Amino acid sequence: MIFDTLTSPIILFFALGMFAGFVRSDLVIPEAFAKGMAIYLMAAIGLKGGVEVSRSGITDALLLAGAAGVALSFLLPLPAFAALRGFGRLGRTDAAAVAAHYGSVSLVTFITANEMLNGAGLPAAGFMVAVLALMETPAIVSGLLLARGGPRDSGAAPRGLWHEVLLNASVVLLVGAFVIGLIAGEKGFAPIRPVFDGGYKGVLCLFLLDMGLIAARRLRETRALTARLALLAIGLPLVNGLIGTVLGTALGLDPGTAAMLGVLASSASYIAVPAAMRLALPEADPGIYLAMSLGITFPFNVVVNIALIASVARMIG
Amino acid sequence: MNTVTRKRIEILADAPLLPRLVDELQASGVTGYTVLSALSGAGATGRWSDDGLTGTAKLVVMAITSADHAADLVDRLAPLLDSHRLLLTLSDVEVVRGDRF
Repeated sequence: MIFDTLTSPIILFFALGMFAGFVRSDLVIPEAFAKGMAIYLMAAIGLKGGVEVSRSGITDALLLAGAAGVALSFLLPLPAFAALRGFGRLGRTDAAAVAAHYGSVSLVTFITANEMLNGAGLPAAGFMVAVLALMETPAIVSGLLLARGGPRDSGAAPRGLWHEVLLNASVVLLVGAFVIGLIAGEKGFAPIRPVFDGGYKGVLCLFLLDMGLIAARRLRETRALTARLALLAIGLPLVNGLIGTVLGTALGLDPGTAAMLGVLASSASYIAVPAAMRLALPEADPGIYLAMSLGITFPFNVVVNIALIASVARMIG
Repeated sequence: MNTVTRKRIEILADAPLLPRLVDELQASGVTGYTVLSALSGAGATGRWSDDGLTGTAKLVVMAITSADHAADLVDRLAPLLDSHRLLLTLSDVEVVRGDRF
């Protein structure tokens, strides 16, 4: 399975992007085009998830996976924080900010995993899109509590933080498209399916090309990354992915869905959480959390860890 | 032509901090400002560029105001310069319509 993954066009385009970024090629995906692709991918994945739930209805598995996702997002920052403080030798604020990233989730990792799990014959349930949206925020709360040393000394959140966290573009579009899919159902989706299904994989290839470029440039420009932090950026997704997959399997989710819960647990945010941290914990160094989540964890998950998690889910499921 | 001297303020900051800066500008009596986007650069924490993704884009807030308002703004922003990684500069500029600033 790992070899199949490495030769899929999606991953190869990602590798091409990273290569071009490392060798300082002038290859650039225009920002507006990249944003357009992101909007297309989010709308497509939201719609498909909503249509699938309209077919299956609200099931026990959906509620269990949702609850597990929220719990993981709240709790995963705690051991991460301890590891970042101890092994990573980070200060409290930096460790808390990084921990929040590792509790939250990466949309692009989710989209990539969705394709890879489908390809491996382990499709995840459509409702995992909703679980993804649920998992974005709780980790931010945990991160802020960790930074402040507990709930006692909470203080007011900066203006605009909750607006940014709860109504950011990706949450609105993803949840909105999910609800549209839920309302429209199979019949309503049929006429628009060619647009949102037909071009999906091709667009994902180009999008991952851009992500490879961004990840490589981020890694090249960083000064804040130490060898210990780089190790944690690989160790945390390995451990978190295992926790998510085992928890999903223990809750009785099918192997594909349990694997996706593992992927969500292993993934680290690099869109919603950095923006929230710049507002709420401005003292934390963005160079650290972005180099770890976007520069190392994201490529590691896409190229290696998704396949590992799928193998584990298949083995124990 | 008669000109008068005013202060020109430039603040380089991370894009998510814009609402906070606008609050401080207004609290110090600065009524007009312009926001410019910044493409890339380098500083104490290394190189940065706007990747259009991670919310690490930077921008420049430019305002022209009286020396009093500028001094008030500097007092308000001084404690944030290190913690929020701001770059703040002031310079004297000549303007024609002094009553506007």
